[in-house]
Amino acid sequence: MPELSSGQRVGRESGRFLRCCGLTTTPPSPCVQPCCRPLCYEQSERRLHKSLQMKMEEMSLSGLDNSKLEAIAQEIYADLVEDSCLGFCFEVHRAVKCGYFFLDDTDPDSMKDFEIVDQPGLDIFGQVFNQWKSKECVCPNCSRSIAASRFAPHLEKCLGMGRNSSRIANRRIANSNNMNKSESDQEDNDDINDNDWSYGSEKKAKKRKSDKNPNSPRRSKSLKHKNGELSNSDPFKYNNSTGISYETLGPEELRSLLTTQCGVISEHTKKMCTRSLRCPQHTDEQRRTVRIYFLGPSAVLPEVESSLDNDSFDMTDSQALISRLQWDGSSDLSPSDSGSSKTSENQGWGLGTNSSESRKTKKKKSHLSLVGTASGLGSNKKKKPKPPAPPTPSIYDDIN
Amino acid sequence: IVVSKMNKDAQMRAAINQKLIETGERERLKELLRAKLIECGWKDQLKAHCKEVIKEKGLEHVTVDDLVAEITPKGRALVPDSVKKELLQRIRTFLAQHASL
Repeated sequence: MPELSSGQRVGRESGRFLRCCGLTTTPPSPCVQPCCRPLCYEQSERRLHKSLQMKMEEMSLSGLDNSKLEAIAQEIYADLVEDSCLGFCFEVHRAVKCGYFFLDDTDPDSMKDFEIVDQPGLDIFGQVFNQWKSKECVCPNCSRSIAASRFAPHLEKCLGMGRNSSRIANRRIANSNNMNKSESDQEDNDDINDNDWSYGSEKKAKKRKSDKNPNSPRRSKSLKHKNGELSNSDPFKYNNSTGISYETLGPEELRSLLTTQCGVISEHTKKMCTRSLRCPQHTDEQRRTVRIYFLGPSAVLPEVESSLDNDSFDMTDSQALISRLQWDGSSDLSPSDSGSSKTSENQGWGLGTNSSESRKTKKKKSHLSLVGTASGLGSNKKKKPKPPAPPTPSIYDDIN
Repeated sequence: IVVSKMNKDAQMRAAINQKLIETGERERLKELLRAKLIECGWKDQLKAHCKEVIKEKGLEHVTVDDLVAEITPKGRALVPDSVKKELLQRIRTFLAQHASL
């Protein structure tokens, strides 16, 4: 390459040479193409500059070329990966030098012990699937040989200590109680037994009906004061729990509840019993106590009416009772309710009294109707041995 | 002129890198890559390889350079394709947004 005196070299190989101001270095090339025109240094510099500028523009434009961008992207990616690898190397090196690199390894003995098992019929721990199903155990209570998978339930029943077994036992007691009561009732009411066949069956039928259908029209007629609240009692009856928390009940609801259900408050749950008025888990005494507690000493209990079922029942007493009931019922009503329910109640009771009066002649039958209507509040047909119906206050005295 | 061409490229790359750092995108990409590599088990694989290398070399004689020389090529190769694709996608998106220089 021809060197200029200034020491600058021209890079093109095609023999471009500079000639400026009389300075010539090489003879002009045989090529007469414009590219080979001899140029002054400054001129060529300017030329270079321009072409560089153009190239720069091309550069930015071509920078937007996909291939270029792709290449750049790849480079950036490679840089990032390299960074990650380096970072990892530093971590490892530090761990090695600080001595905690191999800390998370298990010793080879343990590795062998806990190796994953991959044999057919075994799980990964090497245990057989239903190894204990076919084994038999001897029950310590009854000394029988029981299958292992049935052992726990058997033991529960055998010892009588599980949740289920106590439930079954309770049910059995309840059933036997019911049976006992029904038997004893029949024996006690000799009078009824002596009666006509029709009377006895009527009574039984009525008893069954009222037991089965607490919301029958017959009952609802006599429960006029509960007309608006019959729907309320339904959720109580179909309540999943066996009791009701009495704190949430209003006085009206309480009264209606107590006239249809047992209502005795359980000590464990502090809830009222929702079983029938003849529920065998609680005694009449308990029921009376509850009613007196809630409704005051003048509260009338459904059993009172049924107890008046008994043999020597005085008509006058029943009428006095009914009038007392009427009076009592209205006294418990809230001011807003008193208007409507009072009238309806009067009607209801009136019906009761009327029907009972119509059958004045037949003593037993009349007090039966009284049972059916006036005391239809409760399906409680429990017959207790009672002295000849004394006036109601004294009954309370006796029991209390 | 070839040199200047290279300069231009280098300048462009430098500008892009600068932009990457300025906007914080490089850090984000780095974090993303790290997370993805851990998720896909790359780190554990490489750790196992490290353990072998170190056991061979002896615990006392490990140097950073040794590790780098052994591990970096393996690390580059072990990166799964999905991770690579995702990262490239993100880079391309970034470039498309910031291509005007």
